[in-house]
Amino acid sequence: MFKLVVQNLLRHPLRSILTVGSVCVAVFLLCLLRSIVTTMNAGLEAASATRLVAMSSISLFVDMPLSYQDKIARVEGVEDIVKWQWFGAYYQSPDNFFGQFAVDPERMRAIYPECQVEADGWERLARTRNGCIVGYQLADQFGWKVGDKIPMIGALFPHPSGSAWEFELVGVYRSTQPNFDNRTMFFRWDFFEETLKSDGQEPGVGVFVMKVGPGADVPRILSEVEALFENGPMRVKCDTESEFTRQFMSMMGDIPMFLGWIGTGVLVAILLGAVNTMLMAGREQIHDVGILKALGFTDGDSFRVLISQSLFLCTLGGAAGVGLALLTAGFFEVVLGQFFPGYHIAPSTSVMAVVVTVLIGFAAGIVPAWRAKNMRCVEALRTGV
Amino acid sequence: MSDPMIRVRDLSKRYARGGETLTVLDRLNLEMEEGRFYALMGPSGSGKTTLLNLIGGLDTPDSGSLFVAGEDLARLSGAELAHWRGASVGFVFQGFNLIPVLTAIENVMLPLTLTSLSKAQRRKNAETALRLVGLGDRLDHRPRQLSGGQEQRVAIARAIVTDPKVILADEPTGDLDRKSAEQVLDLLQRLNREFKKTILMVTHDPHAAERAQSVVHLDKGQLGRIEHNDAGAAAR
Repeated sequence: MFKLVVQNLLRHPLRSILTVGSVCVAVFLLCLLRSIVTTMNAGLEAASATRLVAMSSISLFVDMPLSYQDKIARVEGVEDIVKWQWFGAYYQSPDNFFGQFAVDPERMRAIYPECQVEADGWERLARTRNGCIVGYQLADQFGWKVGDKIPMIGALFPHPSGSAWEFELVGVYRSTQPNFDNRTMFFRWDFFEETLKSDGQEPGVGVFVMKVGPGADVPRILSEVEALFENGPMRVKCDTESEFTRQFMSMMGDIPMFLGWIGTGVLVAILLGAVNTMLMAGREQIHDVGILKALGFTDGDSFRVLISQSLFLCTLGGAAGVGLALLTAGFFEVVLGQFFPGYHIAPSTSVMAVVVTVLIGFAAGIVPAWRAKNMRCVEALRTGV
Repeated sequence: MSDPMIRVRDLSKRYARGGETLTVLDRLNLEMEEGRFYALMGPSGSGKTTLLNLIGGLDTPDSGSLFVAGEDLARLSGAELAHWRGASVGFVFQGFNLIPVLTAIENVMLPLTLTSLSKAQRRKNAETALRLVGLGDRLDHRPRQLSGGQEQRVAIARAIVTDPKVILADEPTGDLDRKSAEQVLDLLQRLNREFKKTILMVTHDPHAAERAQSVVHLDKGQLGRIEHNDAGAAAR
């Protein structure tokens, strides 16, 4: 019977290949889209419960005064604080987009233990005024090695000399958590601040990240930090890291819903394609169904011959799609790493994809299989010769 | 006297066509003995193929009873009827009805997949059947790679591979040239003589009917005369 199923699929090899190919592409897209969502969720879940983020209540793109740091640090329960400033420069071409932040290296190291710098990178950063560390994916992309000079053209903060900012790569980091990407550059705040001040500029702070102790009264700390600046000059909005990340993601729109609609559309399209293929196959094989029944095969056998073809086609395409998604996961981890750090194909995604393809196979084959099952033998023999 | 291989009692079959009811078989009574070769003749629309389909369990009557190879077909469920068909009846059709995507030997092995035989045994039996019909050198040919006569012989091999008691042939020579038709008729006659198969062959061709020991005539769904031709058939 398996031979009959396979040979029937090979009646029109091009049609079968195209159907398998379309299921493969659809399942690949499904895996890709779902993995973006699961990666986002993993980032939210991995967000530290002991880190809080303070930003301007107006917008993430409005700076806060540097003087806020000491006031926030004095709030009871805040154990440590690090300031981040978005640098917004580019390397060689504006197309080479990646994040760069001015930070306090020692504070950063203490508050973000998941940022594991290779060798003595942190120490070298402390010794090198214009030093920087970058994620390994970024280093791989541009072929940077420790000791390389990295000229960055300032867009938000042009260098006072009118030339590029020159950084020296002193370390490469690898993140141990999916919420911390491997495509970012960090450099010293004091270098940033002093350079700007030499031109009479006063740098502001994008966000303050606070570390609180385990079991800290987070709601109280959040409200106390916000209360500190209720009367200006710049009001502050304070959230947990996961809430901050969620809001940051929502700035790009409701991505899960958007991706969900695309995924649903892809599935419906492929279902219609598979149904069409199986309806054609069913029509072509009605006469064969009559022969099988005449030879002693039951109605159930006829059903199984047709439904097996549909399941075989879709499962083959689905397996190829999952395989393709797994094979290209490394590529997409790099490509999407800036926006969705820690991109990976979760086992649940592979399982879901297999289940979906089996369901599509069943749905596509049920009509012709049911028709074959219920068709009277003599009627089938008279049809479709 | 032993029970007949086929016993038809008050068999009726009607079809609804264009709002009218067409009686194809009308309270037909007929008995056929085991091990004989019957030809079923009659004009178009006389109910020959319908009777053959009913005897083979491919269709169900509106009334009456059918006993074939010791089984009351009316008592069998759909699945039981299918199993009975696979074990007790071999079909040979005018249009050969081979599965086009399978080779000759795969076509012949197909009915054996319903048995408990091992794959090796199924292949061996199928090879034997194909050699019996003179196609031992065409095992791996697809139907479209065979001539009409060869296709029909593959169909005969498939019909006998399960060693059924009854072979039902519907115009088996209808699509064949004279030479191929003779080969097919020789085969059917041999199956009857050497292997004692009960054969019921629908035909329009009087020449083909001469091979049968008995010729049953149908007209407008009713039994006509029955001619016995044992001597003539034996001479062919």
